[in-house]
Amino acid sequence: MRLLFASLALLTAAPAFGQDAGQTQFVTTCSACHQVTGQGIKGAFPALAGDPFVQGDADAVITTVLNGRGGMPSWKADLTDDQIAAAISYVRAAWGNTAPPVTAAQVAVVRARSAQPVVRSMQAH
Amino acid sequence: MAVSRRTFIEQLAVVGGLSLAVAGMEALGFGFASAQAAPPPLTGKGKGVRVVILGAGLAGMTAAYELTKAGYDCQVIEARSFAGGRCQTARKGFSHTDLIGHTQVCDFDEGLYINHGPWRIPYNHRSTLHYTKLFGVALEPFVNDNDAAYVYFQNGGGPLAGKRLRKGQLAADMRGYAAELMAKAAGKGGLDLPLSPADRDRFIGYLVSQGRLSPKSLAYGPTEGRGFDVYHGAGLDPGPGKLSAPFALADILSSDTWRALEPLGDHEQQLTMLQPVGGMDHLAKGFERHVGKLIRYDTEVQKLTQGAAGVEVFFTDKAGKSGSIQADYCICTIPLSVLQGLDVAVSAPFKAAMAGPAYAPVNKIGLQMKRRFWEEDHAIYGGHIATDIPGIDTISLPSTGWQGQKGVLLGYYAFGADAARISAKSPADRAAFAVAAGQKIFPEYAESFESAFSVSWHLTRYSQGGWAEWSDDARASAYPVLCEPDGRLYLAGEHLSYLGGWQAGAIESAWQQIAKLHARVNAA
Repeated sequence: MRLLFASLALLTAAPAFGQDAGQTQFVTTCSACHQVTGQGIKGAFPALAGDPFVQGDADAVITTVLNGRGGMPSWKADLTDDQIAAAISYVRAAWGNTAPPVTAAQVAVVRARSAQPVVRSMQAH
Repeated sequence: MAVSRRTFIEQLAVVGGLSLAVAGMEALGFGFASAQAAPPPLTGKGKGVRVVILGAGLAGMTAAYELTKAGYDCQVIEARSFAGGRCQTARKGFSHTDLIGHTQVCDFDEGLYINHGPWRIPYNHRSTLHYTKLFGVALEPFVNDNDAAYVYFQNGGGPLAGKRLRKGQLAADMRGYAAELMAKAAGKGGLDLPLSPADRDRFIGYLVSQGRLSPKSLAYGPTEGRGFDVYHGAGLDPGPGKLSAPFALADILSSDTWRALEPLGDHEQQLTMLQPVGGMDHLAKGFERHVGKLIRYDTEVQKLTQGAAGVEVFFTDKAGKSGSIQADYCICTIPLSVLQGLDVAVSAPFKAAMAGPAYAPVNKIGLQMKRRFWEEDHAIYGGHIATDIPGIDTISLPSTGWQGQKGVLLGYYAFGADAARISAKSPADRAAFAVAAGQKIFPEYAESFESAFSVSWHLTRYSQGGWAEWSDDARASAYPVLCEPDGRLYLAGEHLSYLGGWQAGAIESAWQQIAKLHARVNAA
C-alpha cells in the first residue's frame, strides 16, 4: 500500500519528460499507440517518425487528430487547441522529422469547420 | 441562497430535470425496443450457397447460425483461439497479450471474473435477448443504479469537493431543491404553465411528492427519504433517530457532483439491467455450441479478392501456413480499425469509407479484493461509484456474489484521452493507479487488493478500439456506403449500426446483411 502511494506521488510530482509541453502532451496522449519512439506498432499503429503525412499539409494532420481516422480516436472532445497544437508540433519536429510547427490558431480554424463532438455520457455501454 | 433562480434553472436544464418537466415529458416518448426483435425469416433457396464469414464475434456467429439454418454452407475464420470477439470474460487462466507485448494471465480465484468487454444488457435489446433465451444463457439482474453508491468529485469547488457522498442523498437534494423552486414559482403563477388552476394544483402536488416538500411551505428539508445521520430503530435509543441535513444547493452545484445525477432513463441505460450468470462470454459460448464446428480458429485473414464468380479469402494459420477459401459471398465482421490495414479488394469509394469512423480508446480493469468491504462496511450492493478522477470515471461493484468472501470490482471504465494516458502504463502500474485512486474513496481498498486484470481495447489485437465512433459527417457520407455490399462482400458488426458498441448492434447488423444477401441469392 505504501509502495502504491509512493509510485503515484512520483508520477505526479516529477515531470519526467522535461519541460517541453509538446513532448509531454505526446507522451501522455499518443504514445500508448504510436510509442515514445514514434515508431508505432507494425500492422496496427503507423510510425510517425519519418512519415510524410505528419510532415505534410498541416490542416490534414489537424483534421486527423480532431476527428480520428480508422483505428485512431477523435481527440476533439478531450484536448484543447493548445494541446493539439503542441502535440502535432512535437511530432513534426521529433525523431528527425523536419516540418514546421502548427499554432493553436490553426487548430481553432480547422475545429470551427468540423462538426461538434457529441457530449459524452459518464457511461457509454 | 447564493444561486439565482435563472442560473439554477439553466444548470438544471443541463441535467435534464427541468427541461423534462417543462417540455411535457417528450423525452419519455422513446421507443421501447431495438428495431429488430427476431432474425429475418430466410425462406426460399440458400442450400449449398457458400459463405465465408470473417470473424467469430457476435455478428459473425449470428450470420453463421442463421445462414446455416437456412441451408447455406458457411465457414468462419477467426483470428483468436476462441469465439466471441469483444464478448469476453476474464477468469482464472484467461490470457491476454496486447499489441505492445504486455501479457497478463488472469489470476482471480475460482468463480470470480470481470467482463472486460460488454457487461450489461438492456431489456429493450430484444435481439440480444433472443439469443440468450434461445441458447439457454441464464440471466440475472445487473444493478445499474444504486442510491447507496458514492459520488466522489475532486475537481470541483466548495466544501463537497473531494468528499464521498451517497448518490441518493445528492439526488434527493437536487430533486428537492428543483421541486421547491418550481412549486413555489408555480404557486405564484410564475411558471406560465398552460394549465387550469386544478391541474396546476395537481402539478404542485406532484412536485411536493417528488421533492418530498412540506405541503404547507413547499420547502425542501430533511426527510426520511434522504436518510439518517442516526438510523431510527428500536426503543427510545435510537428511537426515531436523527434525520440527515441536506447539502446546500450552492455546494452541490459548485462541487460538480450534480453531473453524476444524469438520468438513467436513456434508451440503453436503465436502473436495472441484465447480465449472464457467470460472465458475458456465456452468450458467446451459446453461439459457439451451435456454430463452433464451422469456425477455423487461430487463423488470420491476410487478403480478400473477389470477382464475378465469387470471393477468395487468403489466410495464415497459427503455424504460419497460408491457405485460402473460396466462396460465393463473404460477410466480413472485422472491425474497420483492423480491416483498413488488410489487403481487401473493394471499390475506391468503399475503401475510402472504411476510414470513416474513429475507434474509441476504452480501458477496463478488474480488481480482486480479498474482502467485500463495499458491502460489509459501506452497505453498497452493486451499482457504480461515479468520480471525476481522470482515468477512473466509474468504479463498479459486482451485481453478483453478494455477501461472499471475495469479489472482483471494476476499478475503472474510462474512454478517450484519459484511457489512452493510462493504457501507456504497464499492467502493474495500471493496477497501482487504479488502487491508489480507489483508496481515495474507500479506506479499505489498498489493503484488500489482491490481483488485477486490465484490458485496453485500443491496444487489443484484432479489435483496435472499444467501438466505432461516427461523426455526423462520416455517418452521412461513409456509413451508407459500408451498409451496402461491395461486389460480393458484405460488412456487418456494431460499427454498421446505430447501436454502436452494443452486442445488439452486432446481431442486428448481421440480421440485416444476411437478409440482403438472401434476397440477392433468391433473386438470382
